[in-house]
Amino acid sequence: MALLETDGLTKEFGGLTALQDVDIAVEEGELVSLIGPNGAGKSTLINTITGRLTPTRGTVTYAGTDLVGMEPFEIAQLGVGRTFQTASILPELTVRENVQVAAFAAEHGSFRINFLSRRDSFDEVQRLTDDILDTIELDDKAETEAASLPYGDKRRLEVAIGLATDPDLLFMDEPTAGMSPTETEMTVELIENLLSEWGMTIFLVEHDMDIVFDISDRIFTLHQGELIAKGTPDEIRDHPAVREAYLGGDAQ
Amino acid sequence: MSTDNAQPDVEDESSLISVDAWDRIKHTERFVFLISVAFVLTFSYLFSRAPVISDVTQGYHGLTVTILIWSIFALGFNLLLGQTGLLSFGHAMFFGTASYATALFSIHVFNEPLTIVIVGMLSAIALGAVAAVILLRLHTVYFAIVALAIGQFLYFLASNPLEGITQGINGLEVDRTPLLGVVDLDHEYGGILGALVVDNLYLFVGVFFVAVVMFITRIRKSPYGLIFKAIRENETRASFVGLDVWRYKFAAFLLSAGIAGIAGALLAVNTQFAGVERLYWSISGDVVVMAVLGGLGTLAGPVIGTFVWFYFKGIVNGFPTLGDYWLLMLAVSFTAVVWAYPEGIWGMITDLTAALREPKTLAAKVKSRVTGGSSTEGSNGGDR
Repeated sequence: MALLETDGLTKEFGGLTALQDVDIAVEEGELVSLIGPNGAGKSTLINTITGRLTPTRGTVTYAGTDLVGMEPFEIAQLGVGRTFQTASILPELTVRENVQVAAFAAEHGSFRINFLSRRDSFDEVQRLTDDILDTIELDDKAETEAASLPYGDKRRLEVAIGLATDPDLLFMDEPTAGMSPTETEMTVELIENLLSEWGMTIFLVEHDMDIVFDISDRIFTLHQGELIAKGTPDEIRDHPAVREAYLGGDAQ
Repeated sequence: MSTDNAQPDVEDESSLISVDAWDRIKHTERFVFLISVAFVLTFSYLFSRAPVISDVTQGYHGLTVTILIWSIFALGFNLLLGQTGLLSFGHAMFFGTASYATALFSIHVFNEPLTIVIVGMLSAIALGAVAAVILLRLHTVYFAIVALAIGQFLYFLASNPLEGITQGINGLEVDRTPLLGVVDLDHEYGGILGALVVDNLYLFVGVFFVAVVMFITRIRKSPYGLIFKAIRENETRASFVGLDVWRYKFAAFLLSAGIAGIAGALLAVNTQFAGVERLYWSISGDVVVMAVLGGLGTLAGPVIGTFVWFYFKGIVNGFPTLGDYWLLMLAVSFTAVVWAYPEGIWGMITDLTAALREPKTLAAKVKSRVTGGSSTEGSNGGDR
């Protein structure tokens, strides 16, 4: 059975149909990408799966659990993490504290009564935080206030927060947007590392087609709220509907 | 924030180490404890009886007790606004309700100072639980306004329909009984102790003050301190990392209500009275002004803000001619301070000391932000 499955997922805003009967299935350990022109409904799809939006119709099943109607924090606690398109960090906290917040949620669950215990007494949280900072290579900036980071680092911190929630399935919403070529390369390496070393399943939304076609196992193509194609990179590259709708017939 | 000054010149190294050491020390709980105890022990003396200083301040002992009590109130309020980012315009509800609960319990059930203060605190927590269920569905200005409305609802409830219980505008008397049945709160000390603390009532309130400061310090150092700040900064993100934001806000609300309740209860013990005016909306406004004026999100800030507020109300008020304009002067000072230093008087002090001792202090400030969240954490009004 697929790790994540949507069936007839539909989201309407008033008269506008943002998602129309979307059926996708993601297998454990896969890297799938979601592509589509601006306004195709990519963010709506992620938001509907991760609990930010409630679908008008249809189901979302993760590891046998129906996610529809669940709060974002409950979905996160099940092991579905996400990173945001615009860096959604905690600006006045340090880099370490940003990661630590997520690490507390991962290690202690959604709520715990521990306001009389000092933060530094929770070794498992400190360990996870250090691991993540090390992995994302932000350890040398751990004590910097997040707001003062350069843009690329903010994006990396964004990914670090997503990772610190210790997800099994991670939604990454345009992780390389605005990054320098070096940072982009680092991020791609990280994603490959997450798949192979961490055994994670990744759902990637990405505009950089080179990356998408290079690293994806399978690609979903969304156009005007409808899933017009799904398949391996080779299948998608040659798919007539994709070429017409999205790639404008110019895909190499 | 610039970190350029974090690596000063080599010749500065020895002094930087001492600044580092100082920084480590001032964030320890032991240091906060010692400072707050020292503050309680010297505050009344310096403000109302010390030679020269008290001639300038023109303070009196009774006012110091009031200031300690209201500082507890402002610290509790600040836990909600400064740490968690929830602006309540109805905190008088906890203050006034606890005052009433304290008085009613002392009249009808059992009258012992420690017991009735705890009862007052519990009543505020119970009210907080009910109010939170209503308020936590709301955001920003709606949260503030509905909190105000609940407070006013309780004010009218106490002044009229429940007049039989609250005695309306006449209020309730709280008889002074010995603490734990043995310690006379009115007992005045002689010698050095008498010079410092005057009587047991001051000590009683002072112990609560130190306990509340230590409690809040521990919360700030706990996971809650971090999670409250995360909620303040970006609630959506906190929720998407898997935190039950509602429950953490609920916890912040109860903690804040309970501390405000301690203050309301102590005021009932101190004044031997509980009245309906403590539920009035202007009390909620006063505590907002105190916290914002002193510096939100810090420990020293609310205490300083409370002091300044009462200094105008209790001292400047008595000056010839000028005294009539104390509220105007307070308002102008408030506007000037917050305009120039949004982080309040404590923010002004830290900025000025940083400017004076640059670059060492700036480095220390950078370091302190790094180690303890807000740059002003750790010290407790010792600068006064």
